Amino acid sequence: MRKLPAAAALAALALAGSALAHHSFAMFDPSRTITVSGTVKEFQYTNPHSWLIVVAPGPDGKAAEWAFESEGPSTLLRNGVKRSMFAPGDKVTVQAWPMRDGRPAGALLSATRANGQLVHFRQGPPPPGVATGG
Amino acid sequence: MRSLGGGLRVGAAVMTLLIAAPVLAQGPPAEAAAAHLTRDRYAQGWKADRAYRTAWDEYQAMKASARGGAKMTWARLPDWTGLWTHENGFAVDPDQQGRTPTAELTPEYQKRFDEKMARVARGDEWDPLSACLPAGHPRWLVEPFLREFILRPEEAWLVTEQNAEIRRVYTDGRGHVPEDEAYPLWEGDSIGFWDGDTLVIHTNHLKAGSYQRQQPDHSDQVETVERWRRVGPDRIEALVAIYDPVALRKPWRVRHTYGRVTTPNLRINHWSCEENNNVVQTPEGSSNFILPGEKGYKDPDKPGPSPSAPAAQP
Repeated sequence: MRKLPAAAALAALALAGSALAHHSFAMFDPSRTITVSGTVKEFQYTNPHSWLIVVAPGPDGKAAEWAFESEGPSTLLRNGVKRSMFAPGDKVTVQAWPMRDGRPAGALLSATRANGQLVHFRQGPPPPGVATGG
Repeated sequence: MRSLGGGLRVGAAVMTLLIAAPVLAQGPPAEAAAAHLTRDRYAQGWKADRAYRTAWDEYQAMKASARGGAKMTWARLPDWTGLWTHENGFAVDPDQQGRTPTAELTPEYQKRFDEKMARVARGDEWDPLSACLPAGHPRWLVEPFLREFILRPEEAWLVTEQNAEIRRVYTDGRGHVPEDEAYPLWEGDSIGFWDGDTLVIHTNHLKAGSYQRQQPDHSDQVETVERWRRVGPDRIEALVAIYDPVALRKPWRVRHTYGRVTTPNLRINHWSCEENNNVVQTPEGSSNFILPGEKGYKDPDKPGPSPSAPAAQP
């Protein structure tokens, strides 16, 4: 696991406005970006949010199911993210804003597929009012 | 991992550019849109104070200036076909600077807002949408997801993909539901008329609620007057006057735009928030997830028992 602030800082487009439609952002810590490498268990391509479930070492080093949240299908399609991109068993490296409480989950920023393709799930800064310092 | 990280940075830059192209192709640059609106006398005057006591008075004044509104025909209906999405973030007034809304709130509602933002600052933020309730109007105006605007001479449907919320606007000359039959509704009761190619709408009988998680609340006395029109090939504009004698000291005049979405094969589909929602309210009043494997987690493939399923055997 490794911090990767550049991945978040690079992006600047307005699709951030389509994020977080139906819940608060309070559980995420956008001041940190984590990288998690593992195997896709399931890509829940669903509304109101999609989730990429990845089996990878957890915070304690033991195998865990990580749950990374992203947007609903129509927003993902506008961003070029298709359901077929992440199949069960695929190797994947995920960048995400972690949970504040340390559980194995986060806000999905991008994911590198087994073929090396970097797929962006989310652009732009955190929504207003979200602390990003420290 | 270091070399991977460097590769990711470069890759991210390339992907950003790739994504930027189709997004920017969806509408003219913001500067061009702003220039267009600056030329528009109506938009220039929109934020000016006007001497209307109620939303209904303002609506009636608009209707009088439009000589009652033109009877719309299929031949004269403007073309608002296609998919659209809100362009201006989550603030009720997209011109808001920082975190302070431009509304002039009554003392009670200012206090409510200050308390809400104090909770947000503590990380205690809850959204009724997390319980899968509709956004409802006026919040409907600022929600993301896809939109469709379906026009008929006698009725307009303003559709958002989110929770399949449809605002029906009757333009056949009928009035509002009689007061003794009315009750608060998520989208209220909307009637309208056409002033040329502009759809003018009056909405009342709304529920009390919040404009957004980090925006003020409104009472069930809130009413709106809206002027909707297409301002370019790829943009539809809504000028909205919000009246709320309980929460607002003066009408809140805001402008929203909706940009055309051109992603191939994209359609509005029906969905239910319940099909994959594991957001819960914490005892502190904040928001958190139940994660896969935790007690109470609802699998999206099995969101709940089928109503026709046999009862589980003990």
